[in-house]
Amino acid sequence: MSIVLTRIDNRLIHGQVLETWLPYVHANCLVVANDEIASSPLKRMMMVASVPSSIQVEIGSVEEITALFLSGELDACRVLLLFATTADSLAALHAGLKYERLNLGNLHAGQGKTQFSCTVFLDPEDIENLEKLDSAGVDISARCIPADMSRNWRRLIPGKKAGH
Amino acid sequence: MIATELAIGAGVALICGLDRTAALQVMISRPIVAAPLVAWLLGDVGVGLEIGLMVELLWLARLPVGAAIPPDDTQVAIAGTVLAVSLGGLLGQNGLEYQLLCLLIAIPLGKFGQFFDRFARQYNGRKVAQSDRHLESGRFRAMEQAHRMGLCCFGLAAVGTYLLIICGGLILIPILAPLLLPSLDATAPWLRLALPLVGIAVILGTINVNRALTLFGASFGMAFLLMWLV
Amino acid sequence: MVKIGRWKLFQVWLRLLLLQGSWNFERLQGGGWFYAMAPILRLLYGEKEMLRIAREHVGYFNTHPYLAPAVAGAVIRLELERAAGNDHGVGIAEFKEMVGTPYAAVGDALFWGGLRPLAAGVALLLAAKGLVVAPIVFLVLFNALPLWFRIAGFLSGYELGLRSVEFLQRRKLPDLAIRAKEASVVLLGGVAAFLVFQLLDGEQKPLWLGFLAVPAVLLCGYLARRGISTLLLVLISSALIMICSIFSADVVVWLP
Repeated sequence: MSIVLTRIDNRLIHGQVLETWLPYVHANCLVVANDEIASSPLKRMMMVASVPSSIQVEIGSVEEITALFLSGELDACRVLLLFATTADSLAALHAGLKYERLNLGNLHAGQGKTQFSCTVFLDPEDIENLEKLDSAGVDISARCIPADMSRNWRRLIPGKKAGH
Repeated sequence: MIATELAIGAGVALICGLDRTAALQVMISRPIVAAPLVAWLLGDVGVGLEIGLMVELLWLARLPVGAAIPPDDTQVAIAGTVLAVSLGGLLGQNGLEYQLLCLLIAIPLGKFGQFFDRFARQYNGRKVAQSDRHLESGRFRAMEQAHRMGLCCFGLAAVGTYLLIICGGLILIPILAPLLLPSLDATAPWLRLALPLVGIAVILGTINVNRALTLFGASFGMAFLLMWLV
Repeated sequence: MVKIGRWKLFQVWLRLLLLQGSWNFERLQGGGWFYAMAPILRLLYGEKEMLRIAREHVGYFNTHPYLAPAVAGAVIRLELERAAGNDHGVGIAEFKEMVGTPYAAVGDALFWGGLRPLAAGVALLLAAKGLVVAPIVFLVLFNALPLWFRIAGFLSGYELGLRSVEFLQRRKLPDLAIRAKEASVVLLGGVAAFLVFQLLDGEQKPLWLGFLAVPAVLLCGYLARRGISTLLLVLISSALIMICSIFSADVVVWLP
């Protein structure tokens, strides 16, 4: 048992992850794959600081984290894997990090982004990335916290329902 | 008479509703505070304590984290209490079974009332673009004003939720009372226990404490035995 | 360096009480953040620079409302230093994002996850006894710590600036939150026991029945984990109890 939840969340480690998902999936290891955080010691330190000491935290670039998974070092842990963007999750999958399900948490508003649910804002590139993930066999659904309903990503996007 | 009481309730609904998200967060929005507060103003604190006790734990496990919005237990507690005290006075009912009836009707109605809160948040979202235009043309005071207007949205949403539960209650309770009160009469004390227990169960099911069940079981057994034997 | 008067600081602190006034899904507390910082920005910058600076303060922002003053205090210090010409290499917008999120996570765990059920548990025991002080006890027990964080966080943020984040580095607060949650689980066990005892004692029922409450609670907790909503659980359990009461006359016969 390794990855118990894979999630895209712009905020990476924050309250929703720590207070709701962590107990829900009984994870004991938080893995953050993000180039920006990995390259800044201060950001990395701040991110680790909000996690209770009983939880193992690994922060690295997408490349490092993929290598970490492939090395088998995390096989014994129950891992909650976090990406910040759809592009990162696609890159990791292409690099060989296998996951079957992908949870869409918070994808913030921004230039060119359209709102598809309360917390999911996507631009055409995101949709293309998700399309690729989907055709690679990843089951993608939007669910902010466990108490919310899980909705398949195709049902969020008008005109995608019939797809596949 | 009842109109005055409903208006007092609306005032409390407004203040406590604002405390919930928009302002202060000093937790007067918690059912255990809001329900006794409105009941005290209406002249029967005891009813408020009972309703606060039954509602407080139900959604305590739903934390307001980021963009996740918990169900509006504040308005359920306030409107439930107002219905129990004011409408109860009119119908000549004041027992626990009647308070439970009001609550069991207020809880599902509160679910519909959630619509107002969501609408307020989405309405505020639509104002973001306008606020950005103010920014680019240097009208900073207008941005501050726009933020204050957001408070009005939340206030209206709180009162809207309150009124929806009250209206629903005023229609449904007189109809359902004759049907349900006889069976509630026998079961009221059990239901009074069941509601907080459901709340505790949901907390145990979602809290991130290892061995939460062991701790709970040991503590329950210990406390219960002590009360039994002493 | 420009001097910021006490009144201005207090004004920001007061405005932070309305931080979530225009909460929305696009920016969360972004609008409230600008609203709170506006008096300081106006003091530090002229009409011309204001637009450039203000853009950094309007975007997405979210933290715990009780820890927002700590972020704001530090940002005021950073703004002061920037206005005086020294730069830190950490942009204000970047700092807000970097600090806001972990503060939010710590606050959620400590205040919402730990302290709130603890205070509620104590208040419920009093309410079950019919004591009118229950809500007041809840407010006092709960609010002492947040108020302290709101005031001391603001002051130490303003005092220390960038270095104010060090208190988080020690990683004590998330662990303290876990302790508080453990304590509230124990307390809720006591509350449940008290309510069950009160009922059985009042109804003159055999007390051993009380132990059946544990499996009932566990079952409900399991259903909640499986995604059954609280609303549904309340309706189902109420219906079950009412149905059971119809047959209770028969059951009582074979109870000792």
